[in-house]
Amino acid sequence: MLTRLGEVALAVALPVALWGVGAAVLGARRGHAGLVRAAERSVHAVFVLLLLASAALVTAFLRDEFAYAYVANYANRELPLPYKIAGLWAGQTGSLLFWALLLAGFATLVVHQNRHRHRDLMPAVSAVLLGVLAFFLGLLVGPSNPFALVPFPPADGRGLNPQLQNVWMAIHPPTLYLGFTAFTVPAAFAVAALVTGQLDTRWILVTRRWTLLAWFFLTCGILFGMMWAYVELGWGGYWFWDPVENASLLPWLTGTAFLHSVMIQEKRGMLKVWNVSLILATFLLSVLATFLTRSGLIESVHSFAQNRTIGTIFLGALTVATLAGAGLILWRRDRLATEHRLVSWLSREAAFLLNNLVFVTAMLAVLWGTLLPLLSEGVTGQKINVGPAFFDRLTQPLAWAMLALLGIGPVIAWRRASARNLRRHLVGPAALALALGAALAWVGVRHRGAWTTAVLGGFAAAVTLAEIARAARARARQGGRSLPAAVAELFLQQRRRYGGYAVHLGLVVAFWGFAGSAYTVERQASLRPGDALTVRSPFGPIYRLEYVDLSWYPAPNMTKLAATIRVLRDGRPAGVLRPEKRAYRQREEVSTEVAIQRRPLEDLYVILASIDDPNGVLRGTNPAPRIVLKALVEPLVNWIWLGGFLVALGTLWALWPERPTRRRPGPMRSRPRRAGARAAAAGVAAGVVLFGLARRALGQPPAPVPPAVAEQEARAAMGRLKSPYCPGLMLTACPTPQADALRDSLRALAAQGYRADALVEWTVRRHGAAVRAWPRPRGWELVAWLAPPALGLAGVAVLLGWWRRRRLAPADAAPPAALDPVDRARLEAALRDEGWA
Amino acid sequence: MRARRTPFVLGGLALAGLVGYLLVTGMRDAMLYYLTPAELMARVERDAGFYGMGVKVGGRVAPGSVRYDPVTLRLAFDLVDIERGQPRIPVRYEGPLPDTFGDGRDVVVEGRLDRDGVFRARTVLTKCGSRYEAYTAEGR
Repeated sequence: MLTRLGEVALAVALPVALWGVGAAVLGARRGHAGLVRAAERSVHAVFVLLLLASAALVTAFLRDEFAYAYVANYANRELPLPYKIAGLWAGQTGSLLFWALLLAGFATLVVHQNRHRHRDLMPAVSAVLLGVLAFFLGLLVGPSNPFALVPFPPADGRGLNPQLQNVWMAIHPPTLYLGFTAFTVPAAFAVAALVTGQLDTRWILVTRRWTLLAWFFLTCGILFGMMWAYVELGWGGYWFWDPVENASLLPWLTGTAFLHSVMIQEKRGMLKVWNVSLILATFLLSVLATFLTRSGLIESVHSFAQNRTIGTIFLGALTVATLAGAGLILWRRDRLATEHRLVSWLSREAAFLLNNLVFVTAMLAVLWGTLLPLLSEGVTGQKINVGPAFFDRLTQPLAWAMLALLGIGPVIAWRRASARNLRRHLVGPAALALALGAALAWVGVRHRGAWTTAVLGGFAAAVTLAEIARAARARARQGGRSLPAAVAELFLQQRRRYGGYAVHLGLVVAFWGFAGSAYTVERQASLRPGDALTVRSPFGPIYRLEYVDLSWYPAPNMTKLAATIRVLRDGRPAGVLRPEKRAYRQREEVSTEVAIQRRPLEDLYVILASIDDPNGVLRGTNPAPRIVLKALVEPLVNWIWLGGFLVALGTLWALWPERPTRRRPGPMRSRPRRAGARAAAAGVAAGVVLFGLARRALGQPPAPVPPAVAEQEARAAMGRLKSPYCPGLMLTACPTPQADALRDSLRALAAQGYRADALVEWTVRRHGAAVRAWPRPRGWELVAWLAPPALGLAGVAVLLGWWRRRRLAPADAAPPAALDPVDRARLEAALRDEGWA
Repeated sequence: MRARRTPFVLGGLALAGLVGYLLVTGMRDAMLYYLTPAELMARVERDAGFYGMGVKVGGRVAPGSVRYDPVTLRLAFDLVDIERGQPRIPVRYEGPLPDTFGDGRDVVVEGRLDRDGVFRARTVLTKCGSRYEAYTAEGR
């Protein structure tokens, strides 16, 4: 009955949201605090109702209730549990529900945070958030109902698209949607500022963290999407200007522009119209992205549904919202007058302005290319596409401009930069960058695009590092600290600024990675068992890939065909790769599973492009067929992921709540929080010690244990091992006799008292590291495994932190902290330096 | 105040001009018409200049027309209009056989039609979009 309840919850949520909008508007007009509170309570109510509806949909998935069209379309009985839960965002209607749920969650948090603050803005904020929610609820109750029934329920569902059956399915869409929805909050505050006429910088200061958080999630979402495409789409790329990828990039571009341009408004009171427009555009582009993803209006690997009604409604709503936003801005234009004018083109304002122009231009270019098929069909009746070449060509010069500005922006002086200021900060790095360019040319980098990107990136990185070093030296000299201590102190005390520098450095590293793709080498050949394919890496090593044999395994829901490829690197054995083809029973589809060997400088990426006579393989008449093997050497591709994580970490750093003592004066109130921090630190320390002890325990001689314990340990070990006999299958699931034998030996060892960890190590010694289903808890491997979920959790932790700080005094009431002597000396030096004093 | 604005306007115009230039030239090189085989043939009949233009053509693999050499990876087949069953356009492609490729499959080929009447494809994609959603979202 829970599923029925979900349907009812949706139907109730719509009128509640509409009532909330009305109450907020009326309450604000009449100055009736009770009505405003009622509106805020309906935000909470909508959230609870949506939570109920989502729980109901997930329950329907878990119970295989194929009477629901949505469940029947995106799941089947054999689908593993995590993908059933992920069914919530696997298709169009579920995604809309998920979007609404996340937005309602954020809205609840906003209302809660501002119970005692910004009461003048809150009615409008609630009204906007509830209005957006009402729109989505209207879709969910009407044309896109997740609880719609099939007249004749099928015995089994259609299953999930094989390309979505991947760990990333659990991570990428939610992260992206968190980013999209979070941008609604600053947009709602901007509208509130417009409606109430409170157009000073307050709305920006209030929503600064929200914007950063949205940007953080969006960046992570895009990054995870690229990683997903890289391992799953099987052609060696990570970005191919697919309409849906582009759609997620659009709000990212305007959002990035907004993050920078608000600084000008904070410091100089300029660009007010621009900022309001940018954040509204970012919100609208987020909605556009959501709807492009799931509407099927534009052909893409992501769009599965062909529900044009939804597309039309979305387009209409977007148009209305855009016009309304423009109208509001026009109506308030007198209050949006700038307080200062640009003094000189050689100033930080100008650099930021150019940065904004670059980002917005890039957004417009990508938008144009993405919507072209739709526009051309509407205007001329003829669908016209533009390929990746178009986007590459347009975005490349813009990316260069961005890299150059990334170097100049943070060090150029406000108002008017002196020649001395520029000389001091830019000459050294420029010389370094040119030296880098000469070195690259000397080692044979001839690709102009890659060279330019590398050199501009080098310039930006040098400026940023020099700036950090300069500040740290000044602090070390005046405060008598060591240099590393000074750097740490800077990062700890000026989180926003230094987090930003980390983001900049991460971007440079990622761009070096992008530049590396110019040197990707691709080879393919048709091979018989015993034949080999040779690829030469641009860094020198030669890979020889020997096709040993082809084997096939039944697995739940599919049959896997895996080629065994022996890798030799410069003649030395370098492991075995098993690229696969998977034939899915449910959907008559075939997917390609690539095999990748990752190294810091390059990836070896192997694709089983095709198998001659696969049916002969399955029937046993042709056990060693010819295959087409494709191999790519991708230089620096891991730098993209590394840079991306650096960007994410830098954003988190800037986002992390400041130390409570700085925000909340008074020792009494800060003590409990400090205690909390200490407890957390102690917990982490205890965890580390326990972990160490546990690892130590492995080495100790075992003693016989009761059968129940032995079975438990053996099962735990098997749960962490892939079968050496069935590629891709866990040891627990592999049906072959060899696997039975291995399982028996593990049970026997467990009975002698060996623990699960020891059993895993024993198997690894016998069968190689490839059987390890979980990473060894150390080093690079662990980082690569844990970074994505850890980033997601950190984002959630920030949210929870905001929730906890509800009893915080108004931020503006805190007295400005006095400058310590070191900072004062630095400030004076800097002012002298820039010609101010 | 007027005088201060001029550099902005000029700078903005310069940037807009540059981007416009890139947009136009980029379009010319990367533009792809999305056509059916019937539309493509009608197009080249009307305007011979359309030969050699980049196009994406969605059609069906004519049954019995597929020839593939697994050693040289040369693929040849005829593409027909899904609705009308003709015209037939001979397609040449070099590369591994795409997954689930075969007689009667709907495919999208990207490439150009040369004057000898042969379509030389850069990519061949097998279509499976329709099967993602058996029942429409309305639950029919």
